[in-house]
Amino acid sequence: MRSNKGTWLLLAPGMIWILLFLVAPLIMMVYVSFWTQTTFSIKPDLTTQSWVNFFSSDTYFGALLRTIRIWLTVLFVTLVIGYPVALFIGQFIKNKTLQTALLVTCVIPFWTSFLIRVLAWRPMLGKEGAINIILQKIGFIDAPIEVLLFTELSVIIGMVQIYVVFMVGPIAFMIGRIDESLIESARDLGASATTIFRRIILPLSMPGVIVGSIFVTVMVLGEFATASALSGRKVNLLGNIIITQVGSLKWAFAAVAGVVLTVVMATFVAIMLRIVNLRNQI
Amino acid sequence: MDKVASLKWFLGIFTALFVLFLYGPFIVMGILSFQQGPEGGPQFPIIEWSTYWYQHVFGIAPPSRVAPLPIGEALFRSLSLAFATMVVSTVMGVLTAQAFRSQFRGSGVVFYSVILGMIVPGVLLGLGMALLANQLGIDRNWWSTAFVLHVVYTYPFAFLVMLAIFNRFDTSVEEASLSLGVSPARTFRKVTFPIIFPGVLSAMLFAFTLSYDEFPRTLFTGGSDVTMPLAIYGTFAVEIHPNLFAFGVLTTLFSFALLAIYGILLTVSTRRQRAKASGLQEDIS
Repeated sequence: MRSNKGTWLLLAPGMIWILLFLVAPLIMMVYVSFWTQTTFSIKPDLTTQSWVNFFSSDTYFGALLRTIRIWLTVLFVTLVIGYPVALFIGQFIKNKTLQTALLVTCVIPFWTSFLIRVLAWRPMLGKEGAINIILQKIGFIDAPIEVLLFTELSVIIGMVQIYVVFMVGPIAFMIGRIDESLIESARDLGASATTIFRRIILPLSMPGVIVGSIFVTVMVLGEFATASALSGRKVNLLGNIIITQVGSLKWAFAAVAGVVLTVVMATFVAIMLRIVNLRNQI
Repeated sequence: MDKVASLKWFLGIFTALFVLFLYGPFIVMGILSFQQGPEGGPQFPIIEWSTYWYQHVFGIAPPSRVAPLPIGEALFRSLSLAFATMVVSTVMGVLTAQAFRSQFRGSGVVFYSVILGMIVPGVLLGLGMALLANQLGIDRNWWSTAFVLHVVYTYPFAFLVMLAIFNRFDTSVEEASLSLGVSPARTFRKVTFPIIFPGVLSAMLFAFTLSYDEFPRTLFTGGSDVTMPLAIYGTFAVEIHPNLFAFGVLTTLFSFALLAIYGILLTVSTRRQRAKASGLQEDIS
């Protein structure tokens, strides 16, 4: 057993870094959200004016609601698409090498720049895009579908494709860890496939669902690039609001949007962590 | 049992479609990168196959109205930033994970505050850092304010990888070394480090690729000298051209090269370990 002093010495660099460059900036953001905003500058005179403006403006409050709506939609869709895939990889592929290979296949798109991946959806979804061309060729539709690009739908499709892997990974990991003998003994005792799923696989995969949901949530809530690239700047999320406010030097206002976003996210993550202790899962 | 078999088929087909969904945009991007240039746009149909846009990326295409990507300097900045981030966050990740091998009070708080770095959205952290820098009168640069945020982001990944490695680590070899009178520093270098080396490599790979592609944190803190992702983001506002797709294909190939290097290093290190171990066994017998 090493001395306690040694432990803290090992921790010091990381902790100092986190305090200076993570905690301090976040505190600063909260602090600045109460500063006085003038046209081109901010003054450290405390006021709640920016907060009042935020919640009384349809544009900004609407952006908050839109952000929450898109986030919940993406979360739901990634779960519905991701769970069956994770179930297949974790439960039906017995060969460990094949299992890893499948997971790596899902991760490979990650090694392309995030922004380019977003842009790649444009020729896919556009009016003369790949999907419309293929659907027309096989005679499924007569006229191109126009709602595919530069709408909320395209933003959701783009986000689901980018973030669904973060749902699949943790769930597949948890399902793959389930002891095979547990399922076999349940089967020997006469449990049906449905019962096995409901009573064994589903509860044991819950930590994966929680971790996946946290990943998807924090990433979608912090999003702005996908929305601006795939909606033609029509769909404005809170992230986009922050970008435009900083662009026009409205720092206090950007800070308010930032704090609101943080509160939404922290609430969700806190609820999720009540259900599962992340640390015990590694 | 039949029900299970048909479920397996259903899920298998579902997974295949899923992979297609993941790769679809890439395939389209790959095809369109061979669009005719400079008139051909980033959409179907392909007017004529050509490598014009690849030449355009490398700056050897005849000049046209499409502005070249600012690759040279931006790429250099991104790579050096990724390298520095990789070194610092891997070292800190190893140190912190090493501390976590013994029980200590407040470990929960420390754990979650490190994890916070990868959870807090980049745009918030970037905003906070920009505000802080403004307040303190510090210039925002890619090698200063952006760099520290990159480390905040990648350090938790390195930490988690190392934590997972240490959890599966047999401490008796270390104890043997220590009880034989080898100094702790030398034990770390000669015993611990070779065992955790694969983990260190993974942590480095994570840190490098995450930092190289990092964008929301850099947006507010990178200053006027752009990194590669910022340069790409700059093209969002204007019309996009297939040169971006050609560049996307090239960066993907570059990433695969990185992955291949990682794979080779990993194989070499495990093979060397194994050779050493079997040599040792022969010595004993």
